[in-house]
Amino acid sequence: MSSRSTFIGAVEIGTSKITALVGEYTGRELAIIGHGECSSRGVIKGAVVDYKAASECTHSALEQAERDAGERIELVFLAQTGGHLEGFYNEAAVNVKAADNMIDAADIRTVSDLAKSKELPAGRMVVHNIRRPFRVDGRLIPGTPENLVGQRLEVGYWTVHGQEQRLADNIHVIRGFNLEVRELVLASLASGHMVTTPEDRQHGVLAIDLGAGTTDYVLYRDGGPHTTGVVPVGGSHLTNDLSIGLRLTEGQAEKLKLRFGRAALQARDKAEKVWLDGNFAIGDRQFPRQAIEQITAARTWELLEVVKKRLGNAFSPETCAAGVVLTGGTAKLPGIAETAAKVFGVPAHLGETPTWVADNLRDPGNHTALGLLYYGVQAQSERLATDRRRGGFLTNVKRLFASA
Amino acid sequence: MTPRNTTAPARNWRDIPQQMHPRAMSTEGRRRVTYSVLKTIGFVVVLAGLAWGGFEVAGTFRETPTKGSEAMQASPVKDLVLVTDGVLDQAWMNHALALPKNTSLMALDLYQLRARLLASGQVRTATLTRSFPSTLAVSISERAPVARLSAQDKDDLPRTLLIARDGVVYEGVGYDAAMTQTLPWLAGVKLTRVGGAFQPIAGMESVAELLAKAKLEAEHLYNTWKVVSLAHLESDGEIEVSTKDATKITFGINEDFFRQLANLDAILDAAAAHPEKTLREINLAVGAQVPVAFADAAPASAGPAAGRPATLGTPGRAAVPASRPLVLPSFTIR
Repeated sequence: MSSRSTFIGAVEIGTSKITALVGEYTGRELAIIGHGECSSRGVIKGAVVDYKAASECTHSALEQAERDAGERIELVFLAQTGGHLEGFYNEAAVNVKAADNMIDAADIRTVSDLAKSKELPAGRMVVHNIRRPFRVDGRLIPGTPENLVGQRLEVGYWTVHGQEQRLADNIHVIRGFNLEVRELVLASLASGHMVTTPEDRQHGVLAIDLGAGTTDYVLYRDGGPHTTGVVPVGGSHLTNDLSIGLRLTEGQAEKLKLRFGRAALQARDKAEKVWLDGNFAIGDRQFPRQAIEQITAARTWELLEVVKKRLGNAFSPETCAAGVVLTGGTAKLPGIAETAAKVFGVPAHLGETPTWVADNLRDPGNHTALGLLYYGVQAQSERLATDRRRGGFLTNVKRLFASA
Repeated sequence: MTPRNTTAPARNWRDIPQQMHPRAMSTEGRRRVTYSVLKTIGFVVVLAGLAWGGFEVAGTFRETPTKGSEAMQASPVKDLVLVTDGVLDQAWMNHALALPKNTSLMALDLYQLRARLLASGQVRTATLTRSFPSTLAVSISERAPVARLSAQDKDDLPRTLLIARDGVVYEGVGYDAAMTQTLPWLAGVKLTRVGGAFQPIAGMESVAELLAKAKLEAEHLYNTWKVVSLAHLESDGEIEVSTKDATKITFGINEDFFRQLANLDAILDAAAAHPEKTLREINLAVGAQVPVAFADAAPASAGPAAGRPATLGTPGRAAVPASRPLVLPSFTIR
């Protein structure tokens, strides 16, 4: 990495809004210097369905962020979500080759390559290979097992893969602005990294990002990501349920959800009614408050139940001592932490924005973009460090020219 | 969806090609492409320039004898090119440099050759450049003469020397005789020889300024000047000019020469109204009052100030005592 600053863009193409941030990375520090936002169009459940509309919105957000920063973005970290993303776990084991049973880099590389080498169905591509801790003769190793002595080395990878076309669509939206996508980061990993602490991750924590079109989750164990997933249901489904249940337009239902929606029932009086607009204009109507709460609470409960079901045996209150952390725009629904605690049987709370984040970015809806910058920089640094260790002189020279 | 175990690595999102045709990009995207293309072109141009420069330098070094090329060491000087802002010519340069035949370019001691050129007082600066393969380029700037001097050498032969603005005395070479004859003679100075040359004459800056101003502003007056004396320059700050009709004009170096010349012109005009009188002396160095003396001196009792020039202000140094004073009005020049 050169000594000069690199201007990195973090882009989240969400179902309700598109967020772009500009970070100035000096090689040691990262400072957020620009922010752009645009209401999303052409995106459903995190997937681009109208390329032109989605491009226009994304480019508008990027331009706004560049103007705000006063600098040109050089590369982009792009958040990835959507129902097409899936994950599986695969592990491998090797016998240590050295006569003295000391594990060397070659053993580690062999077992890692074996654990990652699983053929995917046609049209699928790997987005992330998330390594779980190594085991030496069954003993858990938090860091690298190099130079440790043992006979059997094991490692497992949680591989996240997605549909090639969907991934390409997202990348091409950014390429349309003539920017290179340097890292593709799962939205759950980005937001989870932002709202959990290293201690939480060590003790075990479940981070759930409730967006408008999707719900992304990541379960951390032993200090790192253990399982990730995406449920293609989000806040917009709550709106849709209200719209059907109360016979309202999408806009009206969204308004009611934001004003009176709750994730846990509170209204006791069945007769209590609320106005749709509250301005006594023609067309303004009354709705039973309890009915609104019942619809939103039931859908939220169901959504969280789906997440729990997807996690399966990976989640248990014993392995998730730090509880559940909720983030994303839908996490602003009152009573959601209470509901999550009941569903998962562990303490739950809303994710807090770190104190160093500027006031205009202190919203749960920005956690993914914020985390994207920090997680992306970290992931890229690790990848470059690994490549540098592996690559010879010629590889390093080529990389130097590529970065120039 | 169940993946199968295999040894081949699965395809990664990084395998997705990120190339995109500019036409598929947004306006801002295309603008960025143009910017990056221009940046690349600029980079390539700079790189090519550097490469070309390097190639040229390498070529030069390849041909330079300092890099050990014996052939170049042996290459004799074929051309001597002179560039000057004066009158010196190629023949003079050949004589001054006196290069031995078949001397190689790299064997030349440029410092020594430069010293030879500067030995002539006429040369103010000299630059010598090796131009490979066989040319020595000489660029000189010359002094211009402002006055001339008559001296006698050891054999009592008269010699005419020229004096430049900075006081350097030299034997002029290549000047048009008609031009040198218009220069006034310098008097009242002592020539001192130091080494092979004369010591520069002090105070020539003021004299040169007076002469230049006279030539520029009042050439009709300058043309009548025959001798410029510095005898009282150091002691009194005065320059004495003798004209062809033997009138002595004294200029003060502390006064504005232009004003003095204007006064002189006016006095001469006023004096022309009296053709019966011959001017003997005009002293412009005393300030606003200008003592003027005529040759046809009046009897001693003719006036109260007989025998010395009368002034309206502070009296200056006495002019020729035998002269009859005439007080002229002062002239204000704006």
